[in-house]
Amino acid sequence: MTITNIRIGIYLCDCDGKVSKNVDLSKVKTAIQSQAEFEYIREADVVCGTAEQEKVAAEIDKYSLNRLLIVGCNDPFITRKFVQLAEEKGINRYSVEFLDLSAVNSVEAAVSAINSRLGKLHLREQIGYEELAVTPDVLVIGSGSEAAAVAKAISKNQPVVRIDHETKKVVGVDGFPGNFTVRLLENGKTSKHSFGAIVLALGAQPQYDAAKYGGVNLDERTLSLSQFINADKNYAGKKISFVLGKADADSLLSFAAVLKSSLDLKGKGASEVDVIYDDMKVCADGLEQEYELARKKGVNFLKYDGEFQINSASDGATFQYREPFLPIEATRVAADYLVLAEDFVPVAATQELAEILDIRTGPGGWFQKDNVHFLPIKSNRAYILFVGSCHGPIHGTDLYNEIEAVVAEVSAFAKGKAQVPSLQPRVEAKKCAVCLTCYRCCPHHAIEIVHGDEYDNMYNSAARMNPLACQRCGICAGECPGKAIQLPLYSDQEVLFEVKQPAKIVAYACENSGFLASEFAKTLDPQLQKALQIVEVPCSGKIDVIYLLKALENGADGVMLLVCHKENCKYVWGNNRAEQRKERAQALLNQVGLGDRIEFVHVAANQGNQFNAAVKEMAEKIRQSGTNPGKVVK
Amino acid sequence: MIVAEGKPVEKILEMVAPFKKVLIAGCRGCVTVCLTGGEKEVGILASQIRMARSKDGNPIEILEQTEERQCDAEYNAKFLENVEQVDAIVSLACGIGIQYLGEKYPATPIFPGVNTLMLGANIDVGKWEERCMACGDCVLDKTGGICPITRCSKSLLNGPCGGSQYGKCEVSTPAKEDIPCGWQLIYDRLSALGQLDKMKEIIPSKNWLRAKGPRTYVREDLTLDRS
Repeated sequence: MTITNIRIGIYLCDCDGKVSKNVDLSKVKTAIQSQAEFEYIREADVVCGTAEQEKVAAEIDKYSLNRLLIVGCNDPFITRKFVQLAEEKGINRYSVEFLDLSAVNSVEAAVSAINSRLGKLHLREQIGYEELAVTPDVLVIGSGSEAAAVAKAISKNQPVVRIDHETKKVVGVDGFPGNFTVRLLENGKTSKHSFGAIVLALGAQPQYDAAKYGGVNLDERTLSLSQFINADKNYAGKKISFVLGKADADSLLSFAAVLKSSLDLKGKGASEVDVIYDDMKVCADGLEQEYELARKKGVNFLKYDGEFQINSASDGATFQYREPFLPIEATRVAADYLVLAEDFVPVAATQELAEILDIRTGPGGWFQKDNVHFLPIKSNRAYILFVGSCHGPIHGTDLYNEIEAVVAEVSAFAKGKAQVPSLQPRVEAKKCAVCLTCYRCCPHHAIEIVHGDEYDNMYNSAARMNPLACQRCGICAGECPGKAIQLPLYSDQEVLFEVKQPAKIVAYACENSGFLASEFAKTLDPQLQKALQIVEVPCSGKIDVIYLLKALENGADGVMLLVCHKENCKYVWGNNRAEQRKERAQALLNQVGLGDRIEFVHVAANQGNQFNAAVKEMAEKIRQSGTNPGKVVK
Repeated sequence: MIVAEGKPVEKILEMVAPFKKVLIAGCRGCVTVCLTGGEKEVGILASQIRMARSKDGNPIEILEQTEERQCDAEYNAKFLENVEQVDAIVSLACGIGIQYLGEKYPATPIFPGVNTLMLGANIDVGKWEERCMACGDCVLDKTGGICPITRCSKSLLNGPCGGSQYGKCEVSTPAKEDIPCGWQLIYDRLSALGQLDKMKEIIPSKNWLRAKGPRTYVREDLTLDRS
């Protein structure tokens, strides 16, 4: 949907003198007035002030403005305020653009930046909102206490079905968030059910590893911690010694379980309770208090260091070790029962469900890749969520926080409908060859192939992106061999418009890393920015080969791709796709002798200095290989 | 699907060297699906050639157009306006499309922008495997649904040669990925189907005339009398 009657209002804000210090705003205004298409323009001192806001509101009405360009700063506080104002006046947030001029120091540069942004505003399609019917029901998978807790919490808002994935198993999932069709297998029969969201709360599995205890096998007197807890025997009058620290060194689950069991044993009349540990871990809510309480109740805490020896007999077991603080060769603790902490490993269903749901596992086989961009509860698929120890053992407050986050997330479907901005990519059916490339490359399972007379191609079919599943990375658009896919706000037209008259160096920057680093870098070395043009993309996976070539064809001397670190793409593999495309584009340049002009840089949001170093390196590279001879003079 | 690969650009540059204005014609059929000749690749090749020619001080103007299929005259008619403006055409369609578009515009030289490779399946993004050689006399019924003409390097009809080892074909080279022995595949499939006795059936020599071109195919029941 394109608005034919685009009426843009431009506000040139001095930001309390910050802009006019470098650039004469009235000259900028005159220049814009003489060449650009817009409805209204004026200067302001502090356009975010209350009085100014009222004035802007009145002007929106007076001049029937439907798009705004705020030139000045892009402080998040100000942008939020403006977006709110715009939406109150019926202007969609996607029709408001902000341009930061604080680092610009010439009228020409300011005018060129404004024109570029104005051009984009003209090209931008109007973004609407879609209201989708969704199923409020949530499927919780898991049999343990974590699954029970999250199911109970969700059930306060909406219906929950909990399955254990043993007697009732998930064997397939189709569809999209809000309307997943889950095939369940029970007693040899499969049935289909509709769920809005899926929550995985499989927990973790304790596993005794004899190697960690010098090859000691479990027997009647030497038990694993889970054997001890599950047996739930009466130990009145007995002496129990727990050994911590050899296994499960990375989590607090064993420490919490041992403290709780020690207190229970004391309460139920055990004669003596020892906790033998190397490092006591109590860094979670409540554990420190339990530790203090256990000490008060007379639990013995004994520290060991290094080597130890366990001997088990029919009437008890001993633990012989070196006490680190006393000048004694060896200390021997004899107990009726010796209880050894175990490691935690993913339950068997973890891998199976990862395959069925096409969600990822990371180190140790736990759910989710190690990736700084992923929130703890999120998988690579929208509304398929993790809670608890199935993505690595967690405990206490961490668990409750996750439950709360999951409840909030799935509550979006509680009323049976969901409103979403229509920001998913558009497919021009005429150009869609239904080749499945986008479908295969989407890391979020957000794409389906739909059929019908309305799809104007020889297949009467086209790819379609689901607005709830799509995470708007634009990888699909970057892959499409037919150029049938356009991502709103970042259409090829909009992106290529920015590089029509490019700077010496064009840097396509991922908004999750490179772009933020560039903002930081500006403050560190403003001089360096002169020859540099940043083109923001939602993910480096959106950077098409043609974007790289067009920047050079239009006259840039070098192109950079500023992407997230390896294994740290918010959209799973966007940065890998970008690297493959960079390799291809560079090969295309080499084939025609244009030299080494493309730089691929992994950078994190906080690496402003690395960013500048990379820009300097690029500038040096260009200096050596000379001006781009491939520039096409129009 | 027909699978093609892009031709080395130096070859294409040689072809268009005498010309100042060229149309690059893409196809939305097989070559879009195999990521070689759709609108995207048309744009990439055009940009690459424009830069190469600028560098050599011999600028070229390039028009870009992609239509449904270059193996149908009606779609090829859509190129008319652009063809009229240019000195030559580079087609990114398969060999069929290149020739057929050329037939439509006999006065304009046409050049291949791709090498047409095979009839293959798209195994995954960026991977294709040959499955059919269009021999004109299908024997898949006898071979468990696996084509010995295509999958056996020697197109043998009655079991493997002596070069089948550990399921691999002797033609496999370190430079290429290992080629599975076609007859091993057939044996495994027939075995899974419980039809190993089919291996005993002698498939007679093939009539290779049906595989030799130029072939035509006419269905009298469908041909249209346009008189």
